[in-house]
Amino acid sequence: MAAEPTVRELRALVAEFQPEKGHLMPALHKVQETYGYISRAAIEAVARQLNTTPALVYGAVSFYADYRTHTPAATEISWCSGPACRVLGGDRIRDAIQHTLELPLGGQTPDHSVGLHMGQCNGTCSEAPQVWVNGEVVGNLTVSAAIKLARDIKVQA
Amino acid sequence: MNARLLTLTSDARAAWASEQASGRVRINVCLDTSSIARGAEKTLAAMRAAIVAKNLNAEVGIIGSWGFCWMEPTVTVRTAAGTRTVLYANVTAERVDDFLQKVVTEGADVPELALGVVEGLATPEIPLLTDHPFMKGQIRRVMENCGRIDPESIDHYIAHQGYEGFGKALEMDAEAIVKEMLDSGLGGRAGGGFPAGRKWDFLRNATTSPRYLVCNADEGDPGAWVNRVLMEGDPHIIIEGMLIAALAAHADEGYIYIRYEYPLAFARMQKAVEQARAKGLIGKDILGTGHDFELIVFLGAGSYVCGEETGLINSIDGYRGMPRIKPPFPAQAGLWNKPTNVNNVESYANAPMIMRNGAAWWSSVSTAKEKGTKMFTFSGSVKWAGCVEIPFGPTVREALEQYSGGMRDGKVYKGFQPGGPLSGVVSGGLDLTLTLDPYREKGMFLGGGGLVFFDQSVCVLDMCMFFVAFCEDESCGRCTTCHGGTQRAVEILRRIQAGGGRDSDIENFNSLVKTLVWSNCFHGQFAMTTIKTALKEFAAEFEEHIVQKRCRAGVCHGLIQYNVRSQSDPQLADAVAICPTNAIAEERGQFTVNDGLCIRCDACREVAPNAMEVRDRFAARQAAAAAAAAAGG
Repeated sequence: MAAEPTVRELRALVAEFQPEKGHLMPALHKVQETYGYISRAAIEAVARQLNTTPALVYGAVSFYADYRTHTPAATEISWCSGPACRVLGGDRIRDAIQHTLELPLGGQTPDHSVGLHMGQCNGTCSEAPQVWVNGEVVGNLTVSAAIKLARDIKVQA
Repeated sequence: MNARLLTLTSDARAAWASEQASGRVRINVCLDTSSIARGAEKTLAAMRAAIVAKNLNAEVGIIGSWGFCWMEPTVTVRTAAGTRTVLYANVTAERVDDFLQKVVTEGADVPELALGVVEGLATPEIPLLTDHPFMKGQIRRVMENCGRIDPESIDHYIAHQGYEGFGKALEMDAEAIVKEMLDSGLGGRAGGGFPAGRKWDFLRNATTSPRYLVCNADEGDPGAWVNRVLMEGDPHIIIEGMLIAALAAHADEGYIYIRYEYPLAFARMQKAVEQARAKGLIGKDILGTGHDFELIVFLGAGSYVCGEETGLINSIDGYRGMPRIKPPFPAQAGLWNKPTNVNNVESYANAPMIMRNGAAWWSSVSTAKEKGTKMFTFSGSVKWAGCVEIPFGPTVREALEQYSGGMRDGKVYKGFQPGGPLSGVVSGGLDLTLTLDPYREKGMFLGGGGLVFFDQSVCVLDMCMFFVAFCEDESCGRCTTCHGGTQRAVEILRRIQAGGGRDSDIENFNSLVKTLVWSNCFHGQFAMTTIKTALKEFAAEFEEHIVQKRCRAGVCHGLIQYNVRSQSDPQLADAVAICPTNAIAEERGQFTVNDGLCIRCDACREVAPNAMEVRDRFAARQAAAAAAAAAGG
């Protein structure tokens, strides 16, 4: 895992962004793309660059579901919460995966090896019900197949 | 027509013609989010590798989606002579070698994978694509280029009448463009149906500058992906629509706000904007006309209320994406409190052809009220999850049977949701038409185009729970009616599902329905639509849950119990092994389910259908009540 970025590195990373130009979200995306998450120091660097307060930046970070304030897990399972998956048993799949991994949605193991995330429908509904393992669709799941998948991931982690 | 645009057009057409006359077999692989989910990247890589390895007389490109999302990866094959193109489905990476052997080496068709002939002559084995049951009744206008051109090539777009509508608009004054749009009758495609021309006129008449255009590509309704199909299949049509709107409304800058869940759409739109800028279609002094227009592609970060126009504006401005209090409306004070117009992706995408072919041509399809075509995606308990473009007016039955292949095997139809978590649920309703009015009359609405069908194995209270919990989760937190009301609705539903339904619950729901309409934005105002409409459409099911404590679908956790039906069934061991909570345990030779541990995930019954069963938890009580009723009657 990459070392914690320094303040100097963070400031250089967001130096291109300007206040009052709609640059807050692009700046946060750039931080997260580069370091995997948005640290407290990054929030302060972005605030300084955009001539605003860390509180306002943190307000945005905490509002949006896809900004992370912690390192992502090595294996990230996104459970699709969409309606096509739901009507085909997606909720049972979520329950089963949560109990198998002993993780809540949004949780990860203490060693950052496995994380469980609530995914939003992106329209690959032909594969419903599905999860995404590090972005790869694992579709047409049954509950038992989902349990086996989660057990395999847990063993490998 | 603008001289520089004419040059661009003739160059692009010449390039297209020479591509068609390459003398090689041209294979185009559909590469979009749906096809990638089904392995299209592997197919593409296998094609490229095989052509190099075997030195085949063929070339490979990419295309957007034809809408056959459940049969991806789809590919088109154009013969070396350039005279015939066939669309194939399910061309997985494993099939690539055999496929290339047939279509390239032997110059033959592969009828068993063919969907139809796109261009050229049909054969007894492969009919025309337009005769495919899924394509019948479709009118491909907005989607015309989807599947035919490389979405990452501006030249392909220009060669297919691209930017011609913009060229026409350049010769008109702003008022005339607005008039053409108003004459067309184009209504907002996100479900509101508000005339796009009127919106443009508001901005045109604004008194301050700069003025902004926003394209709402935050297609947040789960189960809808029409905007994604368009952005991934033909991004330039959206840019051209925005350029026309910019002329009509004297706008200076535009934003395309794309949700975080659509990374490929974001990449393609960004690439398209860069290409358009390089050709002089975006930026300063566009095509030498003196018009300036900047366009920025903006990525969201996961928030449903950013689909509400003022939430979206706040999001770009750099705040939490909380919808603003209206008035002032965006046309007066939007981005950075300057005049702003917000339209949906599909609304902008219709503008080029309205300019090109005129309002009369455009409005010649659909009904007396709704004009033009509409893209829909259908999904849920159906065989096919795909994307279509049809006129307004077919029935839901046609949508289900013709475009969704009917219900999946073993599933019995129950109802559908017309468009997003705020839109409501319908029981039956197969004879309703896909127009705006029938849903308005029911207190619902036909949303952005994502219909979700569900079957008898789905509990309507569980559907309500899903959508209300979604609204709770996505509530921005401004209005107590919304963030408090949705929480309260979730609590009541959870209690009913746990077996604690009370007679007062219906009244409490109705009270929430009345209260939430006082929320500031659409999100809160419509958050209770699912429950409001379900209470009417599925009244008996609510009664059963609350009074009899029974869930007919066998879903609600507190109303059912899992039970070992057969101690001797050989699959019982599988059930024991699969249980994620070790709830099935042996005691003195007998297996029983520990009800406290069981999470009702159904995995045991899935692997051992004869060993395990679901029972009504309150069966005895229900029987007693029935007996008492019989005795009393």
